[in-house]
Amino acid sequence: MKLILPLSIILSLHLSTALFGQPNCNWFKYQGDMKKYEACLASEKCAGHYQFSKEYQLALDNAIDIDSSFAYAYRAKSTAYLKSGDFISWKRLMDTAVKYNASDNLDYRGWCRFQFFRDYQGAIDDILLLKKLTNNRIGYSINSDYHLDIALSLCYKSIGQPEKAIEIFLEKMSDSTYSPGLFDFIHLGVLYLEIGDYKKAIEYLNIQESTNDLAENRFYKAITYRHLKDKENWELNLNKSKAYYKSNKKMFDPYTEQIDKIYLEDILEEEKSGLQQPFGGKGK
Amino acid sequence: MIYRAIIIFAFASLLSCSVNKKPEQKYLRWVGDIEHDSSVDGNDFKLCNTENDVRQYFNMYKGLQIEGEKKMILKHFIENYQPVKTKESGWIRVRFIVNCKGETGRFRMIESDENYQERTFDSKISKQIFQLTKSLQGWKPQKDDGKSVDYYQYLVFKISNGNIEKIMP
Repeated sequence: MKLILPLSIILSLHLSTALFGQPNCNWFKYQGDMKKYEACLASEKCAGHYQFSKEYQLALDNAIDIDSSFAYAYRAKSTAYLKSGDFISWKRLMDTAVKYNASDNLDYRGWCRFQFFRDYQGAIDDILLLKKLTNNRIGYSINSDYHLDIALSLCYKSIGQPEKAIEIFLEKMSDSTYSPGLFDFIHLGVLYLEIGDYKKAIEYLNIQESTNDLAENRFYKAITYRHLKDKENWELNLNKSKAYYKSNKKMFDPYTEQIDKIYLEDILEEEKSGLQQPFGGKGK
Repeated sequence: MIYRAIIIFAFASLLSCSVNKKPEQKYLRWVGDIEHDSSVDGNDFKLCNTENDVRQYFNMYKGLQIEGEKKMILKHFIENYQPVKTKESGWIRVRFIVNCKGETGRFRMIESDENYQERTFDSKISKQIFQLTKSLQGWKPQKDDGKSVDYYQYLVFKISNGNIEKIMP
């Protein structure tokens, strides 16, 4: 029976193909590696099939049968397992991809350990190894939302090393060639809020506001103003946060929920606790 | 002698049939598809559409769809999970289907240690996680291109020394 794929799946198929480029098979040919060239050609037969589908997986199995060290096939196979939360099969496939080609696959394995499984130490190990192998040229996450240095920073924050996280962040920000990610300044602002440096927290949350104003930066700004006992700005930012949240101007990822993401309940709880807190006039 | 050879040949053929399955047989329609198993699933839960039309939760591009958002899931486990004194750490995934009415069924669980190696947790941990996931209410029905759909959802639990450290996605 022929399956007709719904539009949403066709879209994700195109998206995954775009993000997850097929290697150039001729490169293997020019290298004289005919086995990999054949395996690469076989793997091209997965094109047009949804990455969860039997046809997609079988095309890649066929490529692996031709050359069992063709790393791309393991990585491409792993994605469906990742997205269905099967960490056992995903990790087994990605370990094989890394075994055969570490420098091309550590970025994906490291990022996914962080994004999908909150395996902070595992992600740190992978990203640090990748930095070593590539002389610090590590690039962005597969979804393009984060530079891997920022992911590294968030991992350190999550294992209780905020100072180290800030150090990595600031080093990245000082690089004139770096284009900050969509949520970078929320995370940096929150890091300063968490260590009690409210001035810096406001400074970075303001930068976020001027580039990509979301419910999250407003929410954390409101909390910072509560610490500074500035009721007027607390209220203003919390109201903005609620309005933005309700109009979907908030952090979003279709697969997972990001670090520092907030929920409507957080805003409502903050409203309650802020109203119970005595605001002693404008802050320091 | 000939009789003996025939028996050996037949036995060898049987063995090779069981070992060399056709590659197609390794996969269902999609990776992770959960077939109905009456011994564990009962007969109450029904799909609204066909088996070939069950989506993944992220196909609709809306993220987790549950009343009270993920915060409600976190509360449910914070309030109800009893930490177990053990050194066991790793991950547990419970995957299931949400039908077009928001009902859930076909729950399945996988477990690993902190190195992603398959192994079972102390059942006081895994049974709680499994039952608490089953008892979660409020999954929202989803539509895709105007059509009410059934979809796969999962929760992954990062377990640290018998405590729930994180819940994904």
